[in-house]
Amino acid sequence: MDLNYTAEDVAFRKQVRAWLEQNMPRQIRDLQERKVWHRKLYEAGYLGMGWPREYGGQGARPMEQAIVADEMARAGAPAPTNGLGVGIVGPTIVVHGTDAQKRRYLRKILTAEEMWCQLYSEPNAGSDLAALRTAAEDKGDHFQVNGQKIWTSGGAIADWGLLLARTDPAVAKHKGISCFLIDMRQLGVDVRPLKQITGSSEFCEVFLTNARVEKENLIGRLGEGWGIAQTTLGYERGGRALARITSYASQYRQLMAAARRLKRNGRPILDDPVTRQKLGRIWTDLEVERYGALRVLTMLERGEHPGAGGSLTKLSYSEFEKRFMELAEEILGPYGQLTDGVPAEYRLEVDTAVGDHGTWAYAFLWSRAGTIYAGSSEIQKNVIGERILGLPKESRADRVGGTR
Amino acid sequence: MNFSFSEDQTLLRNSVRAALDEQCKPAHVRAMMEDRGNGYGESLWGEMAKLGWLGLPFPEEQGGAGLGLVELALVLEEMGRAAYPGPYFASVVLAGLGLQAGGSAAQKEKWLPAIASGQARGTAALLEDSLDWDPAATTTTATKAGAGWRLDGVKRFVPWAHVADVALVPARAPEGVSLFLVDPRAAGVTLTPMVGIDLANRWSEIRLDGVAVSAEALMGAAGGAGPVLEGLLRRAAVGASAEMLGAARRCLDMSVGYAKVREQFGQLIGSFQAIRHRCAEMLLEVEKAHAAVYYAAWALSAGAEDAAMAASVCKSFVSEAARQVCGDAIQVHGGIGFTWEYDLHLYFKRAKSLEPLYGDAAYHRELLIRGQVLHSDK
Repeated sequence: MDLNYTAEDVAFRKQVRAWLEQNMPRQIRDLQERKVWHRKLYEAGYLGMGWPREYGGQGARPMEQAIVADEMARAGAPAPTNGLGVGIVGPTIVVHGTDAQKRRYLRKILTAEEMWCQLYSEPNAGSDLAALRTAAEDKGDHFQVNGQKIWTSGGAIADWGLLLARTDPAVAKHKGISCFLIDMRQLGVDVRPLKQITGSSEFCEVFLTNARVEKENLIGRLGEGWGIAQTTLGYERGGRALARITSYASQYRQLMAAARRLKRNGRPILDDPVTRQKLGRIWTDLEVERYGALRVLTMLERGEHPGAGGSLTKLSYSEFEKRFMELAEEILGPYGQLTDGVPAEYRLEVDTAVGDHGTWAYAFLWSRAGTIYAGSSEIQKNVIGERILGLPKESRADRVGGTR
Repeated sequence: MNFSFSEDQTLLRNSVRAALDEQCKPAHVRAMMEDRGNGYGESLWGEMAKLGWLGLPFPEEQGGAGLGLVELALVLEEMGRAAYPGPYFASVVLAGLGLQAGGSAAQKEKWLPAIASGQARGTAALLEDSLDWDPAATTTTATKAGAGWRLDGVKRFVPWAHVADVALVPARAPEGVSLFLVDPRAAGVTLTPMVGIDLANRWSEIRLDGVAVSAEALMGAAGGAGPVLEGLLRRAAVGASAEMLGAARRCLDMSVGYAKVREQFGQLIGSFQAIRHRCAEMLLEVEKAHAAVYYAAWALSAGAEDAAMAASVCKSFVSEAARQVCGDAIQVHGGIGFTWEYDLHLYFKRAKSLEPLYGDAAYHRELLIRGQVLHSDK
């Protein structure tokens, strides 16, 4: 056990920090500017770092990837774009794609020349994702896709989508699903933004009507989609662990600063024992999250996959974020709810805020998403119970027979 | 960066677990709970000396194994897992680490080899009538009497004082808070048992009425005990957290085991989400407690910049996590978990008894915020 960073890691961190100081844009106003920043990060070798060199990656160690993400969070650097492409679609193609697919798609994900979304959830297939009904029918030279997808992040700006669709309705529901790459810029694909409780529209619904998928865009073999989706969801869990905590820590420091200025009974609320207990609770939980992230990094560095352990990480940080934001709201009172007209001293600096909105209100509202997306807390607890603790599966009506 | 145990550390844990599984079964714990004598087993104590556990963190020249706090935490976690009844924590952590940090060469030479060999037992009297863990709050007095000192005051919740040969006793001298080595059997010392819910963990009240100690009983300089006591409190907080972690892990294991065999409504109860989700939450708390304990143990051992903070994060987190997990274990078990006959309460009570000691969760949260405010005022 040695929780010091190696001299090599410290040197690399310095290098990244210096690069960010030189190159980080002050402000990003639109998607075009974000793509420019994205491209710059890619050219510096800071995007898709773990991917194979032949497809534009760096073959970097998990620790180096964590350091870059951590330094970006520390500096308050704007996020790159194409998050689902870089975070999920790319790694899926690296693991399950053919050579031709890797050559065709990977580099353009990293350069953000092609933007990606993920077409998984459906109105009647959320937690029960395997109940999805969108169908892909073999038409000889291509597949024809019909159905509806929902909660599609970035759907409105995506050029391509990673699609799960049913190719065999006769077999058990987990076995009849296949995974495809679908061109979003075609007539049969209709994307409609959904307005969220935040007032913004990161999510979309996607209607697929006789949409076309080329034969060569099947990932893996027919009927293997469920297994592929499981590894994909795995990437979503745990990867950005350290950077996430660095962002939380900088939000925490701003909360401390606000607690110094806010007064009650003529004294800063930072002097109030109840407030101090709340702050102490946030800081304790945040540090414990950081220790957990270091444990995950240790595993990744040894080439071990966290597997179902990723469910513990995801459950942990998403539930923590909710508690954090609830306590922050208690401390800030009505200031915490302002979406406009926020006095400067109670604003959340944009570089540490969620998204581009410099308000605690937005961060608070967003904290409700984490325990739902990428497998709700309840689903994570099922995974932990069954796959880590070895508890018996529940008897479920759908464990027998096909979907029709 | 390596947050995993070395091969040696894993071997140590396995050997401690094997020895305690064999010699500290629940039947032994229960026998000691009801023991009218000292409340711990001499033969197991002798075995622990032979295996090198009693001198684990002391330097080799003082009969120790020269290992660090990570190894000590591994042993303590196993003791919590077994609800070990005896003065290990009092002797090795409270007296041993206290002497190691603040004792003179002669004091260390006298006590550390004796503690390591199991011939002597020690403890520390860190709490008084008020529930204040800040050494500055000490009200017991030390007045100069001839070449030595005279101690007056009351100490409470002193673990295993009734079997100790030496107790570290903070007292306020004219120069400030000082630390003395006191023989609990000396004239003027009155011990009264304080019986808590964890019968396998014995406490005493120590009353000091004009207790005469020699000049050599003073540890370090008069008035200079603050930093030693603060350091000891941090180590005790992390050590107690390791024991609570062990108790919590035992409760989790028992709950999962039970959920796999107990049937209701014609099904194993572990197949119900109400039970499965609770067990998943318990595992998450246990894993977080593990990270908190071993991060803090490493940080204190390595002298990391954030060591003091890590100790407070550890105690405040684990105090509540262990309470939650052990309590949930009773709930998962239902009625059987509430019976004296079933072993679950041994571990539930071990975790509970350590929760308020060496600073409870609220105390350490306050320390954290105080530290941050001081830091940012600089």
